[in-house]
Amino acid sequence: MNIPAGHVMIVAAVLLATGLFGVIVRRNIVLVLMSLEIMLNAAALAFVAGGSARGADGQVMFLLILTLAAAEVSVGLALVLQLYRRFKTLDVSAAASMKG
Amino acid sequence: MMTRDLLALGPMLITAGGAVVLLLALAVCRSHAFASAWSVLVLAAALAAIPMTWPGAPASGDLLNLLAIDSWALAFWGIIFGSALVVCLLGFEYFRPLAVQAEEFYVLVLLSATGAAVLAAADHFATVFLGLELLSVSLFALAAYRRDQAISIEAGIKYLVLAGTSSALLLFGLALLYFHTASLRLSGLAGPLLAGHPDTIALYAGIALVLVAMGFKLGLAPMHVWTPDVYQGSPAPVSALVGSVSKAGAMAFMVRLAGVTLTGTPGVRNGVFYGLLVLAIASMFTGNLLALRQPNIKRLLAYSSIAHMGYCLLAVLPMAAGAALDRQAVFYYMLAHAVSILGAFGCVCAASENGREAQHVEDYRGLAWRRPVLAGVFSLMLLSLAGIPLTAGFLGKFYVLASGVRNALWLPAVCLVINSGIGLFYYLRVLGTLYQREEAESPDQFATSTAPSALLQPSPQLLLTHLTLAALVVLLIYFGLMPALASLPM
Amino acid sequence: MTSVFYISSGIAVLATLLVVTRTNIVHALLFLIVSLLAVAVDLFVLGAQLAAALEVIIYAGAIMVLFIFVIMMMNLGKAEQEANRHRRSPAWLAAGVLSAVLLAELIYVMVANPGPPVGPGNDPREVAKLLYGPYVLAVELASLLLLSGLVGAYHLGRPEQSRAGTARRLDGSPADSSSGSARPTGLGRAERKTQLGAVVAESSGHDSAAIGGSNAGSGPVPTQEEPS
Repeated sequence: MNIPAGHVMIVAAVLLATGLFGVIVRRNIVLVLMSLEIMLNAAALAFVAGGSARGADGQVMFLLILTLAAAEVSVGLALVLQLYRRFKTLDVSAAASMKG
Repeated sequence: MMTRDLLALGPMLITAGGAVVLLLALAVCRSHAFASAWSVLVLAAALAAIPMTWPGAPASGDLLNLLAIDSWALAFWGIIFGSALVVCLLGFEYFRPLAVQAEEFYVLVLLSATGAAVLAAADHFATVFLGLELLSVSLFALAAYRRDQAISIEAGIKYLVLAGTSSALLLFGLALLYFHTASLRLSGLAGPLLAGHPDTIALYAGIALVLVAMGFKLGLAPMHVWTPDVYQGSPAPVSALVGSVSKAGAMAFMVRLAGVTLTGTPGVRNGVFYGLLVLAIASMFTGNLLALRQPNIKRLLAYSSIAHMGYCLLAVLPMAAGAALDRQAVFYYMLAHAVSILGAFGCVCAASENGREAQHVEDYRGLAWRRPVLAGVFSLMLLSLAGIPLTAGFLGKFYVLASGVRNALWLPAVCLVINSGIGLFYYLRVLGTLYQREEAESPDQFATSTAPSALLQPSPQLLLTHLTLAALVVLLIYFGLMPALASLPM
Repeated sequence: MTSVFYISSGIAVLATLLVVTRTNIVHALLFLIVSLLAVAVDLFVLGAQLAAALEVIIYAGAIMVLFIFVIMMMNLGKAEQEANRHRRSPAWLAAGVLSAVLLAELIYVMVANPGPPVGPGNDPREVAKLLYGPYVLAVELASLLLLSGLVGAYHLGRPEQSRAGTARRLDGSPADSSSGSARPTGLGRAERKTQLGAVVAESSGHDSAAIGGSNAGSGPVPTQEEPS
C-alpha cells in the first residue's frame, strides 16, 4: 500500500471544509445537522488515517466519535421537531428573535 | 491497585451512578421532589468524597491511564459538583410551578457535571472530547429544556450548531496533533513539543484548532456569539450551570493545555502565548463594552462572564513557568466566579414568578423597597462580579492581577484594570436601578413589563431558593475574607 | 487498491459538495449516504475494516434512517425549496471564502508534512483488545454520552403533555392547535422508537459487553416506554 497518510488527511480536510461551508451557508436546520455530521465524519477519517500506521488507537477514536455523532444527532433532531412544531418551518433564521 | 483507582474515581462514579439510579427510579415512580432530593444528595456525596481522595492518585493503574486525577482536577471537581448542587437546589423551586416535566432536568445536570469533571481531569484525547461532549450534549437539551417557550428552543438550537461545529474542529485539531506527534496523551504531547519536533506547522494548525474550540466553550471574544443568546434563552438555573460548571471544566482543561503547549518549542510557545493574549484582551473589551447598555439582565451577565474569562486568562498566560501560584490564582478566580454567577442567577430565579423570568433590568427597579433582602443579596453578587473588596470576586481578581504583575505581563494587566473600571459602570447601573424608587404610573412603560410590582412580591414558596442564596452569601463573604482555599497545593 | 482510494475519495468529495448545495433535502440526504459509503471504501482500503463496517452500519444505516424519519415526519413540500432558493449570493460568497481559506491552510499543512505511508491496517481484534483494556473508561463514558443523548431526545421529542397544552400556549392560535396537535403526537412516538432503535444498534455494535451492565442499554429503556 503506498498511499501517503497525508493524502488521506487532505481528503478529510476537504470534507471538513465542505461541512463547515454547509453549516455556515445553509438555513435549513436539517441540512445544518447533516453538515455537522460531515464534519464529524471528516474528523473520524482523520483519526483513522493518523493512526493506521501506529496500531488500532485511531479506530478506537473513530468508534468514540461515532457514538458522539449518534448522541448529537438524536438531540439535534429532537430539537428540529420542536422548531418545526413551534415555527412551522425548518429555517433557522426563523428562530432568531434574540438580539443585542 | 484496583481499589485505589476506584477510590480516586469515586466522586465521578458517584455522580454517574447517581444519574443512572435516578433514571431507573423515575421509570418506577415520577416525583419531582424525590428527583431533586436525590440529585442534591448524590452531589453532596460526591463533594464529600473529594477530601477522601485528596491528593489524588498517581496515574498508574489500568483504569486511570485516560485521566489525571491530581489535586488540580480534584479542586475543580469541588467547584463543578458544588455548582451543580446549587443548580439542583435552584431548579426545584424554578420548575415547580411550570408545566414542563422536570425530572429529566436532574438527570441531565448530573450527567453534565460528570462530563465537566471528566474534562477537568482529561489527559487523553479520548477523555477530552468525551468529557466535553457529555457536557455539551447535556447542555443542548438543558438549554432547550423549557420546550413550551420559543426562546428556549432557539437557545438550544444555537448552542447545538455552534458547539457541534466547535467540537468537530476540536476533533480535527486533535487528529492533526495525533497524526504528527503519534501521541494521544496530552502529557505525551510535551515530549515532541519539547524536543523541537520538525513538523511544527502541523502542530500549529492542530493547536490552533484546539484553542479555537476551547475558546468557543469558554466564550472567549471572537467565538463568544453564542453566549448571550444561550444565557438569555435558557432557563435561569441552566444559565447558572453554563456559567459555572461548563466554564470551570473548560478552564481546567485550558490550563492543562496551556501548561503543555507553553513549555514547547519557542515557535509553539510564542504562537500559543500571543494567541491567548489576543483572546484575553479581546474578551475583556468585547464583554464589557457590549454589556454597557444591555437592558436584559441575563445577557448582561453573559457579557460579564465573557469579560471574566478574559481576566482569568491573564493567570493562564504565565503557565509556562508552571508556578503553583498562577494555578492557584486561576482556581480561586473560577471559584469566586462560580459563587458570584450562581448567586446572580439565583437572584434571577428568586425574582421570577409563575414561569415568567424577571429578565429585564426594569423588572428590578425598586426591588430594594419591595424585597430588601433579595436586593441586598443581588447587590452583593454584582459587587463581587465587579471585584469590590470584602467579596470573593475581589480576591480572585487580586490574585489574577498579582499573577500578571509578578510575571511582568503589563499589557493585559493594564487592560484588566481599565476593564474593571468599565465594568463598574454597568454593575452600578443595575445597582442603581435596584435602589431607585418606583415611579407611580409611568405612561411610557409598555404592556410587556407586566406590572413589575406584582411580579416581585416576596413569596413564601421560594424558601429553598432563599436558603441557597443565603448559603452563597456566606460563601461569598467567607471566600472574600479568608482565602484559605487559595493556598491549596496544586 | 491505490486507484480505488483516489476514485472513492473523489466520489466522497463530489457527493459532499452536492450535499451542501442541494435545495431538495431528500436529494441532499441521498448524496450524504453516497458520501458516507465512499468514505467507508476509503477506510477499507486503509485497512480499517471494523471502522469501514461501522461507517456503513451506523452512519449510513442508523443515523441516516433517523434523518429520513424526521424528514418524512415533517412532510416537507415545495415551500422549503423555494425558501432556500432565494437567499443566496452574499452568504455563499462569504462562507465559500471562509471555508476555502481553512481548506487551503489545512492542505498546506498536509503538503508540508506528508507523514508516513499508511500502514498495513489493524485487525478488529486489536480494536477490541484496546476497547476493553486501556480504553474501558472511555467506553463507559461513551455509554454515558449516549444516555444523555437519549434523555435529552426523550425530553425534547416527547409529544406535548396535556398539562402543557392547557397551561401555557404562548404562540399558535387555538384554531390550528386542534388540527396541528394530532400529527406531531403520533409522529413523536414513531421518532422515539427510531431513536431507541438507533441507540440499540449502537450498543450492539461495540457496547454490549461493557463492564458495569451497560448503563446505556438497560437504564433508559423503562423511561422510554413510560407513558407521559
